[in-house]
Amino acid sequence: MDELYLDNIDEFVNDHNKIVTYKWLSLTLGVHVNTAKQMLYHYLEHKRKESSPQLHATYLVTGKLEDNGQTSHRVSVIREDQLEDFKSKMSLLVSVHVYSVQKALLKDSGPLYTVDYDAVKDNLKNCSKYSAIRCPNAVPMSAVELQQVQEIQRAPPSMPESKRSPMSGDAGVASKPSSKPPKGIMGMFANKSAPKHQDSSKEVKPEQKESSSVPDGLKSKPASKSNPMANFFGSQTTKKADKAVKEEQEAPVPVASERRSSTPQEEEEPAAAQPHKDIKTDSRSKTKRTEVSDSEEEEEKMEKKKRRRIKKPEPDSSDEDVIPDSPPQMKTSEPSPKKEPESVQPSRTSSETKIRRRRKVLKSRIFEDEEGCMVTEKGYVSESYSETEDDFQSAKPAQRDIKAKLTSSSKDGEKKAHKKASANSNKGTKQASITGFFQKK
Amino acid sequence: MTTLTRQDLNFGQVVADVLCEFLEVAIHLILYVRDVYPSGIFQKRKKYNVPVQMSCHPELNQYIQDTLHCVKPLIEKNDAEKVVVVIMDKEHHPVERFVFEISQPPLLSISSDTLLSHVEQLLRAFILKISVCDAVLNNNPPGCSFTVLVHTRDAATRNMEKVQVIKDFPWIVADEQEVHMKEPRLIPLKSMTSDIVKMQLYVEERAQKT
Repeated sequence: MDELYLDNIDEFVNDHNKIVTYKWLSLTLGVHVNTAKQMLYHYLEHKRKESSPQLHATYLVTGKLEDNGQTSHRVSVIREDQLEDFKSKMSLLVSVHVYSVQKALLKDSGPLYTVDYDAVKDNLKNCSKYSAIRCPNAVPMSAVELQQVQEIQRAPPSMPESKRSPMSGDAGVASKPSSKPPKGIMGMFANKSAPKHQDSSKEVKPEQKESSSVPDGLKSKPASKSNPMANFFGSQTTKKADKAVKEEQEAPVPVASERRSSTPQEEEEPAAAQPHKDIKTDSRSKTKRTEVSDSEEEEEKMEKKKRRRIKKPEPDSSDEDVIPDSPPQMKTSEPSPKKEPESVQPSRTSSETKIRRRRKVLKSRIFEDEEGCMVTEKGYVSESYSETEDDFQSAKPAQRDIKAKLTSSSKDGEKKAHKKASANSNKGTKQASITGFFQKK
Repeated sequence: MTTLTRQDLNFGQVVADVLCEFLEVAIHLILYVRDVYPSGIFQKRKKYNVPVQMSCHPELNQYIQDTLHCVKPLIEKNDAEKVVVVIMDKEHHPVERFVFEISQPPLLSISSDTLLSHVEQLLRAFILKISVCDAVLNNNPPGCSFTVLVHTRDAATRNMEKVQVIKDFPWIVADEQEVHMKEPRLIPLKSMTSDIVKMQLYVEERAQKT
């Protein structure tokens, strides 16, 4: 390949002050992602030799990490200055490559997602054209199959189908079935380290094809939609040593409101184990590695497109604090194979015709401590919500001790939150106001 | 699809709402990126489908909301020419000014289906540009504070003084020293043109910051 690409990248980085990610570069120049990664690497080397104005780079590191005796597969975006440190922590390095090059020292990983957003949106149909991930079985459903899935979905009434989605409203129902296949893929990449999760995740992939098992498969999905969400937001206030995995950011953010997760302790685990936003994928997805986002994004962006059409007429009705604060709804009615403290909840809460469920929501609580300083604490609180409501009622956030054992702390949190939840009244408003979080001190 | 003209009651409000929401997000992001407040008070939230940093501090949020609440009527009537976020050092001399120049075309009409998603895309680009602006700006000295100035056309401020939009939140005419900066360097960041609004963002930076 000719050397013109060096000039191109130079123009993007220095003249336009852009953040050049390998994915954006591959879509812009029309090259395979691996080529784009190499291009960025050579560009970096070239520039470093010339000692020109300072450039910053981020790297994508994949490998195995031992953590409290548990091995997990980790995919992380790391800043250059933390790269060596992170690499030394990994027990097995699977791949390291340049993720992005930019002039600015990014304080957080948000812009990395924003950069690719429009490029991928424009190339929605073929955004995986240049990716290295291939799966011959992953084909979008035809219209007939889609209808079948929809019918099956509506048929069983006991199936908890609530897709709370304040933004999309009615569109939530329509886009629900079509979001099942992407969810299947999503479930794989949002896995936590526990082996039991891996088992259920394996179910997810085959269930994609079987329409009949779609609802079941989803319910037993190891979920942890809440996990990436938690990681995404929960560690914001902690040291920003590492950056989050971008793939997980992309997927949960747009489809956050439609995802379901079934285990509460999974959110804790990453919060406990890692103050950083690291996501572990299961071994099955090892081959997909870093290009993981490409195939899932295809469906993701299709979803976004559908939802946006409905969202458009009310651009100003969306608050800044709309969805992402609350990890998607939890399935509490089904007994999951893992310890499930929340499975006790439905029996307590559902007695009316509306099905009330509990759900873990990340809430911030601001209060004054002994010295009169304002302290912000983020914790998971179990909230009750009703299917028919567009919004959820808020319970007092329960502070979780991150170092405590998973089960015991989650059980404590349950009890605390439950007491407070019962004390709260149903607001019944369409949207929580932005100051709603801070009223209870 | 829907064709709204300026005469329509809601149209000015729609544009003002969109702009004020954007300005709120932009101000929070500027405070985050320029380190005006410690990053601990910021939390990731979603706007225009991308992550942005918003502060959690209730009084700061209330201040920004009240500010924009007062600016909104000016934008509705197309009286606001520039909204400026000024970052000042300890002696209240401006070190940086983020200038949002806003203009609305006189004959506005929304006639396109994809208008709002197009505007969203443009605003997203603004957000991205603010996030990487630290590459082109020098660092600020510690202990900075910020304020918001609005440059209006004509005598719109007289109305503002007469009618307090929010009780106990008065707007005053800015001091000379807050408005003018010594030896400013101009760095353009982004501009956008759409059917409903034209906006330009640039930064004026003082040559010597400390």
